[in-house]
Amino acid sequence: MIERGDTLLAARGLTDAQDRLVTADEPLAELQLACGGDLPGVLAVPELLVLVRQARSMDLRIAREFAAHDGDDRITGFARVHPRGGEDGEGCELLVENWQRQPNALAGASEFAEQLDAIDRASAEASGRLDAAQRVQLVSAAAPDARELEAAISREPGRTWTDYVTLQDVAHRQPLHWRLLDGSHCTLPGSQRHWRVRLLPLGSVSTAPAGFEWLLVPEEPLSGIHSTQDSEDDAAAGHSRLIGSALTPVLRQPIARIIANAETIRSRLAGPLREEYTEYAGTIAAAGQHLSGMLDDLADLEVVETPGFSTAREKVDLADAARRAAGILGVRAQARGITLDLPEEDEGCQARAEFRRVLQILLNLIGNAIAYSPDNSRVTVRTHESRNGRVAISVADEGPGISEEQAARIFDKFERLGRDNDGGSGLGLYISQRLARAMDGELTVTSRESVDDGCGALFRLDLPTFPAR
Amino acid sequence: MAEPATNISGELTSVERLLKEELARGDRSLRGVAPVLAHMLETSGHSLLSDAIVARVRGMLEHLSRQLLAAERAEVLGSTAHGEGDPPEAVDTLADRLGSDHVVLGHAYVLAMESHLAERLERRASLDPVLSPLLQELIASDQPAIAELAMATLAAQSRFVQSQRRMDMPLAELPAELFLSVMACWESVARGRGRGAVPKGAVERLKRSYDEGASRVGLLSRLVSAMGNGALAALELEHAGLALFASALAAVSRQPRDNAVIACHESQAARLALAFRAAGLDAQAIERQFLLLEPGIRVPEVIGQLAPDRAQAILARSEARVVDLDR
Repeated sequence: MIERGDTLLAARGLTDAQDRLVTADEPLAELQLACGGDLPGVLAVPELLVLVRQARSMDLRIAREFAAHDGDDRITGFARVHPRGGEDGEGCELLVENWQRQPNALAGASEFAEQLDAIDRASAEASGRLDAAQRVQLVSAAAPDARELEAAISREPGRTWTDYVTLQDVAHRQPLHWRLLDGSHCTLPGSQRHWRVRLLPLGSVSTAPAGFEWLLVPEEPLSGIHSTQDSEDDAAAGHSRLIGSALTPVLRQPIARIIANAETIRSRLAGPLREEYTEYAGTIAAAGQHLSGMLDDLADLEVVETPGFSTAREKVDLADAARRAAGILGVRAQARGITLDLPEEDEGCQARAEFRRVLQILLNLIGNAIAYSPDNSRVTVRTHESRNGRVAISVADEGPGISEEQAARIFDKFERLGRDNDGGSGLGLYISQRLARAMDGELTVTSRESVDDGCGALFRLDLPTFPAR
Repeated sequence: MAEPATNISGELTSVERLLKEELARGDRSLRGVAPVLAHMLETSGHSLLSDAIVARVRGMLEHLSRQLLAAERAEVLGSTAHGEGDPPEAVDTLADRLGSDHVVLGHAYVLAMESHLAERLERRASLDPVLSPLLQELIASDQPAIAELAMATLAAQSRFVQSQRRMDMPLAELPAELFLSVMACWESVARGRGRGAVPKGAVERLKRSYDEGASRVGLLSRLVSAMGNGALAALELEHAGLALFASALAAVSRQPRDNAVIACHESQAARLALAFRAAGLDAQAIERQFLLLEPGIRVPEVIGQLAPDRAQAILARSEARVVDLDR
């Protein structure tokens, strides 16, 4: 019946006179960060902030139940708030008992779907009615960039809605079952934005619907209205995610097909073939892989250059991230006889960062190290303990190293240091550095001249440490 | 109306006004007599207001008042002044002032009702008002922290039953908001007496010794919270006992505990049914609980079709002002 063991007291924290959480045990610190707060920083859990303020204004020890939400789960517990009078600065001691985490209780599936429909109805910027054959009966645009659609429909009324918009990812032609089209993406004539289509059946769903509510929900706000505050990135403000959301999905499949077919030819799966032809096929596959990698890099580039790009703040074990990156690149290292020297299992170095971004940076660094190291050499990855609230991880190779002059521009966009046929896009390190900075970190390189033993490149990723208990 | 010509007629009009106001006040209290009297005669014993409850509420307000005056006396005269009684007029004045605060009055009423209901359950279903089977299980828990909390709750509950018999209401047992209301009443009466504010040291000492989490209601809700999802088990009145049951019902149906207590009175069957439904109980389970609490009341089957969050929304809209705590 009772679900929590050990002791009832789960976390203790101290707040100051401005309700800033000064110190906190781990669960509380994690919740504070998950709610978007800092440590130390103003208590970011609204439910707890109310209690602390209340106790402080009443100057009484209070004890109340509280429930909060950390983005994934519902957290419930029992909070006891004890104001600390006098010279301690009028803050409070916060004791949380019975810390419990429950997966967010979802309402019934149908109720949930209803809520989603309600959200879409509220946020649609163009809407209308379709008849049973999905022909547009009426449409009204609420956004200026949907007016052209409205005009097009009034010029040539009575056609199916798919004739007026350009569907993405849907290669089929009408007539299509409405369930296949509900939720699909499209672009509208005269609109730069991406739109999501909702078809909500009218009348009985089990039999053929008598018609549809037709909603067009934009995926992003109309640019020019909202981004004026990002003055430093004004050039990028009109940034539409062309590559990531439009080009990549369209190009990925054909490129994958090119690579797959080229590999089939190269390995002669379809029958005997002359040697030269398999070599050509190998080249085609390699070029396809380059294109594919390039596309990923460009999509990433576009993401990191979007104004307001931010990363999550979670606990990242750097040694663990390094081991995972090494696991992914192990085959490539083995193929060249390169030894990956990784940090020890128990070298716990906790950073506050986003795990997949750290992994991405490490994949880039270790991948580069493998690519530019001589065969049968060693790539060394080490974590470094925090000093002044920072932790770091370094990647060193035994390759030719980086000169002072190269180090100065190695993180530039499209910088390839004079190499032009090794398949790189010249974006990897640039993206890695942008990612590092987005996580309040820094990516640096030590040049050949300043390394004692005079050889190999040494890259170092510094990150803020995860606040310990 | 003409201006009063002389000073004498000026005094006359003010006397006249005074008498008129006094008469109006008399009218108001007379108007109140009939409905209250009718209510008390109508269904003695089962009424929301019985003379036993009125007496208990009066006793509790007096006890509050005595504690405050004792604290004041101790501060002014030092600890030697214990045992010496306070003038009855002073006790009455403060008790009257406390009784005029509807929130304080409401809470006293709910406590009186809680012990009244507990006594009735003891008579009718031999339900121990202090130690219920669930509390016993919790005391025997293999987790020392829970066992300790349950033990403390048992002690607090036993003190509560005892103090209810004596018609007492210890200051430390008040919810924090009420504690402050009581302090405010105290200050206003002290100022009215013309002896200046209550001594700061007395207020400070009372505030320092206050800990909501150590009060009976605080301990009960901590215990319910410690049970986690097991708190649903506390919705079995016979198993949990009224005190724990009310706290659990309040927690799961997200309403003030005072409302949950009042819901157990037979005239509040709809409130109770809604609270059960808000807690997610189905029609059969609700029926079973009613059988114990109010055997005469039939629960309509359709209650099972009301969505729990709907039930909660309806509850939240109810205007239980007398017992409404802003929490």
